[in-house]
Amino acid sequence: MVDEEEQKEYRWETGYEKTWEAIKEDDDGFLEASVADIIQRAKRKRQAQKQGNSKLGMMRHLYVILDCSDSMSSQDLKPTRLLCTVKIMENFIEEFFDQNPISQMGIIIMHNKRAEKISDLAGNARKHIKAINNLKQTSLIGEPSLQNSLEMALRALKLLPSHASREILVVMGSLTTCDPGDINTTILNLKSEGVRCSVIGLAAEVHVCRRLANETGGLYNVILDDCHFKDLLYQQVDPPPAALTLESNLIKMGFPHQMSVEGTEEPLTMCMCHVDSTDEGSKLNTGGYYCPQCYSKYCELPVECRACGLTLVSAPHLARSYHHLFPAANYDEITYENQTLICFACQKNFSETDKQVYRCPNCTKIFCINCDIFVHDILHTCPGCATNLSTFQIAHNTTQ
Amino acid sequence: MTTSSEDVLLQVPQVRYKKGDGTLFLMDQRLIWMVENRDTVAVSHSYADIKSQKISPEGKVKVQLQVVLHNGVSSTFHFTNRNGLQAQLADRDKVKEMLQTLLPKFKRKVDRELEEKNKLLSSNPALLQLYKDLVMTEVVTSEEFWVQHASQYTQKQKQQPQDIGVSGAFLADIKPQTDGCNGLKYNITPDIIECIFKTYPAVKKKYVENVPTKLSESQFWTKFFQSHYFHRDRKYAESKDLFTECGKIDDQEMKRDIQTGVDDPLVNITEFEDKTLDEGYGVANEKTNVTSGTVSQAMIKRFNQHSIMVLKATKKQENSEAEAKNVPKQNGNVSEEKPDDGHVAKKQRIQSKITYEDLDSPSASSSGGPSLSLSKVERYLHGPMPDSNVEQLNPNEASSVLRGVLQETRQWQSRHPSTSLVTPAAAVGALGELSPGGALMRGFQEQSLAQLVPADIENEVRNLYLALCELLSHFWKCFPPSTPTMEQKAVKMHEALHRYHTAKLKPFEDKLIRELSPLSHHLTKHLNQLLNAAYQKFSNWQKIKNR
Repeated sequence: MVDEEEQKEYRWETGYEKTWEAIKEDDDGFLEASVADIIQRAKRKRQAQKQGNSKLGMMRHLYVILDCSDSMSSQDLKPTRLLCTVKIMENFIEEFFDQNPISQMGIIIMHNKRAEKISDLAGNARKHIKAINNLKQTSLIGEPSLQNSLEMALRALKLLPSHASREILVVMGSLTTCDPGDINTTILNLKSEGVRCSVIGLAAEVHVCRRLANETGGLYNVILDDCHFKDLLYQQVDPPPAALTLESNLIKMGFPHQMSVEGTEEPLTMCMCHVDSTDEGSKLNTGGYYCPQCYSKYCELPVECRACGLTLVSAPHLARSYHHLFPAANYDEITYENQTLICFACQKNFSETDKQVYRCPNCTKIFCINCDIFVHDILHTCPGCATNLSTFQIAHNTTQ
Repeated sequence: MTTSSEDVLLQVPQVRYKKGDGTLFLMDQRLIWMVENRDTVAVSHSYADIKSQKISPEGKVKVQLQVVLHNGVSSTFHFTNRNGLQAQLADRDKVKEMLQTLLPKFKRKVDRELEEKNKLLSSNPALLQLYKDLVMTEVVTSEEFWVQHASQYTQKQKQQPQDIGVSGAFLADIKPQTDGCNGLKYNITPDIIECIFKTYPAVKKKYVENVPTKLSESQFWTKFFQSHYFHRDRKYAESKDLFTECGKIDDQEMKRDIQTGVDDPLVNITEFEDKTLDEGYGVANEKTNVTSGTVSQAMIKRFNQHSIMVLKATKKQENSEAEAKNVPKQNGNVSEEKPDDGHVAKKQRIQSKITYEDLDSPSASSSGGPSLSLSKVERYLHGPMPDSNVEQLNPNEASSVLRGVLQETRQWQSRHPSTSLVTPAAAVGALGELSPGGALMRGFQEQSLAQLVPADIENEVRNLYLALCELLSHFWKCFPPSTPTMEQKAVKMHEALHRYHTAKLKPFEDKLIRELSPLSHHLTKHLNQLLNAAYQKFSNWQKIKNR
């Protein structure tokens, strides 16, 4: 105690920092800025942990289970929890199919002690977004039943081939669940089938959800506010490490092309994707993709051919999944000591406010913080490595 | 179709059928007619097949009765009783009345299936269209259609309704509404009824005994809510109610439960003691007696009872399932291991309750899953490399090329702004090619062509595509055929495709040629391509099989 008194200085001398002020309220008394800070730090930590050279489950089949019980009408997320969830889910669905083009998603809701499937497993983002938007009209009554919805998802996931990665994501707003039986047996079943369940809680941590996530190898988090919710949801966009039950198989895929022969006119054809839809039936037109096996036409890719069952993708779709396997190397954070005057990527001048700069371990170029975030979140290629012939297209050795 | 013992319900001699005399017999399952003096049955119609009966109108000389079957076949019986018209009429009326009573009993079974199918067809226009295209034109038989193509629709109806859990507050949620004149209205849904039955099996028994024989359903529930069983003060010893027995049964169950006690030592509250004195000191604690009778005691007792029953309601299902699985494992060893197991398990459980993973220091992160082992990573990063078309430039050539390029680019600076324009003819030609319909704008021509197609033709084409898609999906599912059944199915589907081709596609093409000649070829080209691809696959498979 005596030592400390000797080193004591007054705060106006800025001798020491009050560590409890890590969470600060800004001028209006809001905690938002500090929550954003927490999110940012968590993101950087996750980024640092990402390493290449691990087996990932990329053909993902994800079931999203949404809570539609009366706890979702609570207004702690504006305007209500359900509407906020719907909005964020729309963006999540688009992002998911963007980053995982060869995956499929299905949606189940928990409603009045029962589970209801509102969208089957499919690879088409628009259909799911439409189904989610219809949720705005459902009445929120009763309690959710975790067991019923997990069983429903499991029944559908069991039928999938073994090379597919099976996942469930539960968005749980209620603190209770009303089940017809013992949920521990359901958890054991999920574990034995290799289904990875993650849960996002909107209220507080619940022991059953924690057990579910731990046993099946998924993630469990409880949100702080809607930005945090978005961040947690987007965490699920990255492909998870492959389950131990995942077998490696050769998968047959088709790469369709337009059927234009030089000289002759293109025939008028109808597509198979809309042929039985009641609101907009197929129209006769010339453009489209033809399945190489059976020649049925489709308007967009990726899709599973209705006639012959072949998965149709285009090469860019597969290439988009590459960056998960070969990520750009993490930049090292170093203090700015006038190593260069400008950032290599955006060519902006480094000024007094930039205390930290980032250096790529492979090409040793210096980048500013915004470029670092941009390269790792969106671009997935380091501009320094890509423009340097000697380091271009060499696999990154990121064994740590 | 002979049943072992057929009862003859009515026998009418002197009935003519197709210019032959004989006897008409009405059995309990069917109707038969035998030629006179012979023992063979000439005509036999089961009642289930008969759709309706018709009688000849009054005043006609010939007294006849016609039986119409579901498949359209009809048989006419002429009553030729020699005793005259009256006797004939009497005979016929007897048969008619008998049939009237018998037919409705058999009718119901067949109709229900048909009704279901009709409902499905009317509610799904796509299914209706498929049915029209495939079954009416005899491309696929009706049974095949219902088994294969409509299977996903029929299965939707057979889905088991989900089991729901019992929430602790389900009785409290039935909020009664006052209906103005000193009465209370309770609204109960089938869900709540199911919960009540699950939690209070005694009530379920009473329900099964009394409804619908003694009481109607609403009366039963009114009595339930009125009875003291439901209300707080359970002084049921005096009143003689339907539910007093239930109360007594519940009490007995509770007593039994208390006696069996709790197995788990970590949860058994009655055994918890704080011993501050060591062994050998002090006096054994006296367990205080609980005095019963006060109102709060009764309420506490009711709360506990309710909770126990709700928990039991979910456990019952699990126990029956678990027992079924454990039966084969009955060894004597199981019971011996128990005491040792109990000790170890207790220690583990206490250990698990005092450790929290979150508070542990983060362990050296595991590699997060199996690692990827790629033999040649470069293969993933380049496209397929052509074999050796790379021209190798030696350095001299490279530098001369570089010099040439530099010279060219220096000349660019001395170019004067170009004032020479393209010739007018060339400009007009380019404009023509770039406007819709020109040589460089191929796509637009077809779009405008598509608008020329009238809507009904487009609809027909769409239906053709729909039917073909359905057939093709079943066809392609059979490849590669791994079992003999799949091979047979492949052959059958191949034939169905051929039938489709002749029955639907060719007539449509002919119709198009007659009506809209310029388009006919275009519209069906793709359909033909689809069919040809399927035929090709089949013939390839045949060739491989026969090799």
